Amino acid sequence: MNVLITGAESRLGQAIARELAPGNRLRLWGTGESELDENITYFKGDMRDPDIAWQAVQNMQAIIHTGEPPPNLPEDDLACEQKLLDLATRGTHVLFKAGIEAGIKRFVYGSTLQIFEAYPDDVYISEMWRPMPSTDKFQLTRYLGEMTAREFARDFPVAVTVLRLGKLIAEENASPKNSDLMWVDYRDAARAFRLSLNRDAQSELKWNKRFALHHICADIQNPKYLVGKISGFQLRGFQPQHNFEAIWRGGGA
Amino acid sequence: MKKVLLLGASGQIAPNIIPAMESHCDLTLADIKPYPDGRSIEHVDMRHYDQVRDAMRGMDAVMNFTVNRPDPILSFHVSTLGALHVMKAAAELGIKKVVHTGPQLVRSYYDQDFEITDVPRAPGTGYYGITKMLSYEICRTYARIYDIQTICFVFNGLGLEPNEPIKGEDFPPFRIFWKDLSHACCLALDIEAVPDNYQEFNMVSMTAHQKYTLEKAKRILGYEPAERWENYYKRDA
Repeated sequence: MNVLITGAESRLGQAIARELAPGNRLRLWGTGESELDENITYFKGDMRDPDIAWQAVQNMQAIIHTGEPPPNLPEDDLACEQKLLDLATRGTHVLFKAGIEAGIKRFVYGSTLQIFEAYPDDVYISEMWRPMPSTDKFQLTRYLGEMTAREFARDFPVAVTVLRLGKLIAEENASPKNSDLMWVDYRDAARAFRLSLNRDAQSELKWNKRFALHHICADIQNPKYLVGKISGFQLRGFQPQHNFEAIWRGGGA
Repeated sequence: MKKVLLLGASGQIAPNIIPAMESHCDLTLADIKPYPDGRSIEHVDMRHYDQVRDAMRGMDAVMNFTVNRPDPILSFHVSTLGALHVMKAAAELGIKKVVHTGPQLVRSYYDQDFEITDVPRAPGTGYYGITKMLSYEICRTYARIYDIQTICFVFNGLGLEPNEPIKGEDFPPFRIFWKDLSHACCLALDIEAVPDNYQEFNMVSMTAHQKYTLEKAKRILGYEPAERWENYYKRDA
């Protein structure tokens, strides 16, 4: 499959590229050329420019929009927030619109589980709960990007999958001192993106069948954030491999 | 008298309700384009946080009637970013009342249904709908976190109330008249608090179709249409 991956310079983007490299042709948006691989091409430019987005989606069959913030954000807090908002909302709109016009049928967006942080720890959070984002610029804008992405499944015969990712970390770097109920290993997150590309829902008549939403985090003992527990919300084939047993066996947070 | 900043004062809605509201509150009008009758207003560009915040300084409440419907860039910058600026400035300045506005986003989905109250939004990907939907989410989030009492009026048609019988026509299913809207705005400015700090209200003047109910607007705001406007659309029998 020919797959465009945005935010490819981010650690998440790199993990997804590694996961997808075997058997797919990738176009990595945001990173410079690193290793010579005939199945990987590189792309740069501002996603909010429709001409650039149009070039990026040519000959692609799927778009993975990681939602990751770009490097070199403005140091000024307000300017940073304004840019994040514009990228998450208008940028996502421009990218998905270009993808629709290019005939792409599969779209995946990386949102965040942090929009449930406001809930107390004595509830089980599944995909059924209403998001309660904070006004933190990274959290709120990521959520607004999710809402933007969702509308494309409503309007067009395409499959849109939103993955609400926990806090990304490599299991080997996890420490009991800062254990977090929301942890997810980069490799498991990348696997979730790969599995999302298998969704063949673009021909569904009902928009809510074309749209899918999955919470992605480690499968720990006594979890707050449930993965794959609600009928109709399971990501087929997904089972986290990095579940931080060494941390949570010791009591965790 | 409450000091109220009205953003988007020169648009398609505000000039029609301002005259009826001026005895109720101390209005400061702001927009990027001149007011229809040439009246002096403040220049506030919703894309610039400093302009929005400076205009809001000293206000008790803000009413946001700004919108850009069709432009691929301005729609995001006026409707979405502008809403962020209003709520952010309200949080910064301690302003506890915001009246937000936008489209109902879903009316035609329910043309075959009745007794419709609050239904899930279905804005789709058009610039007007999606940018306003995003603005609602921004308002809801800021309202919850900063205790800003935010009333969001949603529309699907506005106009001048009839003053003579209208023959051979049914009335539109989701329309509010200027007289009713100005009254609703005054109620929104007066109300102490709304549940969860944020509520959307259908703005409707005629309910005889039994489609869009005003139950919530009546219960929370005390809103009622000034007259039974449906009576202007009576057939001779």
